[in-house]
Amino acid sequence: MVKRKLGALEKVEADLPNLQHKIRRDPKSYIEDFRAQHYQYESHREIFMAAPSSATDTGIISLRELIDFIAHVADCYPEITKDFPQQLMDILTQHHLILQSELREKIVGSLVLLRKKELLDSATLLQTLFPILISTPSKTLRALLFQKILMDLRSSNAKATNHKLNRTMQTVLYNLVTSDRTSSKGLWAIKLTRELWKRQIWTDAKAVEVMKEASLATNEKVIVGGVRFFLGGDKEREEMEDESSDEEAIDMGRVKHIVGINKKTKKKARAVEKAKATVKRRERKKNAPHPLNFSALHLLHDPQGYAESLFSRHLQSTKSKLNLDQKLMVLQLVTRLVGLHKLHIMHLYSYFQKYLTPRQPSVTSFLASLAQASHDLVPPDDLEPLVQKIANEFVSEASAAEVASAGLNAIREICARQPLAMNETLLQDLVMYRKSKDKGVVMAARGLLSLFRELNPEWLKRRDRGKEASMGLRSGEKKEKRFAEQAAGGIEGIELLEQWKEEERRKKRAEKGLPSDAEDDEEDEEDNWDAWNVESDEDSDDSDGWIQVQSDAEIELSDSDDDDEDSKRPKKKAKSDDETGAEAAAAAAAAEEPKKEESELDKKLSLAATRILTPADLAKLQELRTEAAVNALAGVKGRQSAGNRHHDDPLTAEEIEGLAALSAGKATREERIAHAKEGKLDRSEHKSVTAKRKEKKESQGKSTTNKEKARKKNFLMTLGKAKSKNKRSLVQTRAVLKAHQERAKRGGRRGNTGS
Amino acid sequence: MGSSAKKKKEKQKDFQKAKLKVGKAKAKPDNFTDTSFKAKSITLTQQSLTLSAPTSATQFTHHVSLLNSKSDTQRRDSLAHLTTHLANSRPGGSPPPQPVSTLLQTLSPLILDGNTGVRTQLLKLFRALPPRDVEDHVAQLLPFIRAGMTHLAADIRVTAVEVLAWLVEVAGVEVVGCAGGWIKTLNCFLSVLGWHTEESSKWSASRAAFGKSGSQGKPMVKVLGVLAEFLDVGIGMSGNEDGDVVMGWTEENRGQAGAGVGNSEFPLAQVEAHLIPKTAQPYVYLNLFGQPRDEEGEMYETREDRFRVFAARFLKAVERGVESARQDGGEVGRASSAVSKVLKEAMAYARGAGLEV
Repeated sequence: MVKRKLGALEKVEADLPNLQHKIRRDPKSYIEDFRAQHYQYESHREIFMAAPSSATDTGIISLRELIDFIAHVADCYPEITKDFPQQLMDILTQHHLILQSELREKIVGSLVLLRKKELLDSATLLQTLFPILISTPSKTLRALLFQKILMDLRSSNAKATNHKLNRTMQTVLYNLVTSDRTSSKGLWAIKLTRELWKRQIWTDAKAVEVMKEASLATNEKVIVGGVRFFLGGDKEREEMEDESSDEEAIDMGRVKHIVGINKKTKKKARAVEKAKATVKRRERKKNAPHPLNFSALHLLHDPQGYAESLFSRHLQSTKSKLNLDQKLMVLQLVTRLVGLHKLHIMHLYSYFQKYLTPRQPSVTSFLASLAQASHDLVPPDDLEPLVQKIANEFVSEASAAEVASAGLNAIREICARQPLAMNETLLQDLVMYRKSKDKGVVMAARGLLSLFRELNPEWLKRRDRGKEASMGLRSGEKKEKRFAEQAAGGIEGIELLEQWKEEERRKKRAEKGLPSDAEDDEEDEEDNWDAWNVESDEDSDDSDGWIQVQSDAEIELSDSDDDDEDSKRPKKKAKSDDETGAEAAAAAAAAEEPKKEESELDKKLSLAATRILTPADLAKLQELRTEAAVNALAGVKGRQSAGNRHHDDPLTAEEIEGLAALSAGKATREERIAHAKEGKLDRSEHKSVTAKRKEKKESQGKSTTNKEKARKKNFLMTLGKAKSKNKRSLVQTRAVLKAHQERAKRGGRRGNTGS
Repeated sequence: MGSSAKKKKEKQKDFQKAKLKVGKAKAKPDNFTDTSFKAKSITLTQQSLTLSAPTSATQFTHHVSLLNSKSDTQRRDSLAHLTTHLANSRPGGSPPPQPVSTLLQTLSPLILDGNTGVRTQLLKLFRALPPRDVEDHVAQLLPFIRAGMTHLAADIRVTAVEVLAWLVEVAGVEVVGCAGGWIKTLNCFLSVLGWHTEESSKWSASRAAFGKSGSQGKPMVKVLGVLAEFLDVGIGMSGNEDGDVVMGWTEENRGQAGAGVGNSEFPLAQVEAHLIPKTAQPYVYLNLFGQPRDEEGEMYETREDRFRVFAARFLKAVERGVESARQDGGEVGRASSAVSKVLKEAMAYARGAGLEV
């Protein structure tokens, strides 16, 4: 279509944006004009309401533009426009089916704008938009409304959590899900809740309750949506958090440097301010205490009832219309709940009986679910027939290697959680598979063997037990665990902290030139007490008079084996102001030497019992723990043993399949090449070190050296100098040569005289 | 050197003239795109197979449909055609090919048209419409007129006022009596004249008028004149003559009914109330099927009602405005005298009827 030529009138006069701009600057003077436009809007609205479906573009100004205009300046004239939001809401709710899409979007946008200007409260806005969201057939409108609703919820929760609004919204969603269980409208509740959960805006039990009800619906899509949330919602949330914290770091020094050099403009100054604010905000965020966000599975009110109803409704009942994949998902959720909360569902284990055959599609998922469902409070009588069945069906010389290894892995995972499901003869039988020809099977069998070396070496044959387990057996340390026996708890990673402290002490001693194994705990500890708070070391520095008071008031919790050391400490404290170091350390060393070996073991255990861990200690402990976790991940690539998996993490089919890939016959050449290339960096560019450095420099926006500049200089520009060189007089030449000699002596232009 | 010779040759090739040969097609250029296609049948979207000239009725419909055209001249010409058609058919008494109600649906948005020529032509067309047919569609037309009166463009405002003048002349009682016709239209008048607030009505106030105000004096005179007519129909003497159509209870018959003598239908009293009403929608004031109305959108059918509302809401503003217009003097001052005359009549009536002012 040819673009319509604009008349002069349209260009100049019917210019609502211009009027809007003027009103913004001086609302009082333009009140008459605004009033006129408001009447104009009223008349247009009247025309529109008389025939909503046949609304045409009336004249130069359409209703859409008027709505936009009034929404933008409504905050200047609250008295005149007090009915405006309500009118918009009426139009939208009554006529959203027949409105032109542009007008519809404009109305939604204007309502959100009014909300931003605080002329409308969130609850009203959401109560208007949400019913339209779930009833409109238009896809674009739904997308728009969803986005706006989400945005509004986010912005009203940005500064502080708006509990009231959240509660009403959650109730609306809950009612939506529970009112009609067969309809698919619950999907909107799921979408909204999941998104808000991901962004950590809703982290409470009520949101989880909505999802729980969704997963108990009768519509398949809604069920799957709810179940997926429980299986993946928390992971999504963590990823989101990582993502947001991974935003590219701002190098403050670089920013300041650039500003110092470049032309100074207001815009650039603003950019610096912004960067500063960002850095500050991030810093604050980093120091803020970690928000206690429980996973959705922990926030369930009645996990037993929930798991039972899920199981009976979707898995056991013959009326459920779910397909295998969806059923597997539900099964995963049920078993995860069972494993996590140590529940007991009567028919769950017998339900598995039917599916544990190698021919069953996606049997590894079933195996993983079974392993997930076993915990140490499951009666062994329930599990034993299942283990037996897996052994019979999967693990035999006749079956394929992948099948056998999957079976062995599944048995290992079950036994890791409930060792009593195994018996001696079966174990010895299965362990024999480590002599198999196939690598996958061998690895699986070895895994089982090492597991039982830990758990119950007595069941293994003597020659399979290995050195450590045999020694443990002899010393009586390794004992069979009884049913439902609980180990005493401790602090996770405390031994790491102990180790680290030992090392630090050694380093310090080495610096001072003293024997590295002598003890000077006191000083170390003193440092710690000084740095009671991780952040507040500077204020303890400048108020030196008060430090003594704090160190005198130190709390002592000592056992007999630390006695001599402790008895010395107060004395040391008194001295430590004027003299520290050699004398004290020597005394300590002399005292400690004989006792050292025997107390080693006890001490490790007693670190937590003998000291109060300072916040600095705890911070270090946290750091060490993550470090250890990273190391463990890097060391055993892609495979986690049962020991270091977190209690909350799910068990997946991949882990059951394990090394089945190894036994899947020879890989093709391409596969092998791809496999070899996997871990390596991109080798596409071969470059010299200098070239790489240059590139790096360029990417950092740094300049070139003088040498490079000289090299790149245009040839014609150098000509003049070269010519004049020939015309130099003897005196000039002499001066130049002399200067050169002189320079050579100094060692270059910049002079090498420093050293 | 060999390569450069080759390059030279290649370069020359571009500038060599292709030889044309007899009996052979010209060689296609490099960037030739084949646009031929095959189809079983080709349909032309617009084709006229009639041999006889279209009748005047079809031409009329065609021009009505052209009123939504994008081009200004097209709209104007169609309006002109329609006007002549209506004007010619009027004396004969034959009704227009399309009923006025459907015509008005397409005509009324043109009040807000951006083109001046279109609007003047529209006014002519309105004048050519049979007045009796317009009376029933006043409620449809008024929102557009009100939208025009508050339009950003001054020219459109003036046209809208002119249209209102025509409408008052043709169907004054309906204009002031229909739903929203009294308060909302008066509001628009105040907004056009800028009489809403005290400061804005003062002549010394440097009212920051937005948009091109047009030639300052003349529109003001016109608006004042129309306002006088409007008020006259609403609360003045001429509104009094046949103001209470619905009730069928005018001042005259009241006197006659009270006397009971000298009436042609002597034994019967209040005959008109029992006859079939003359208007198209006699019970519209009950608002049985529409949205509930607020105070502004309400119908004010009697002079008394209208005056009460006027006194409560507008009297002060109008008096103030008239006063300042009088002080302005000149043509505007003269025009304001008409309004003040109507006001005086209305006050006299109010005092007579025992209304408080």
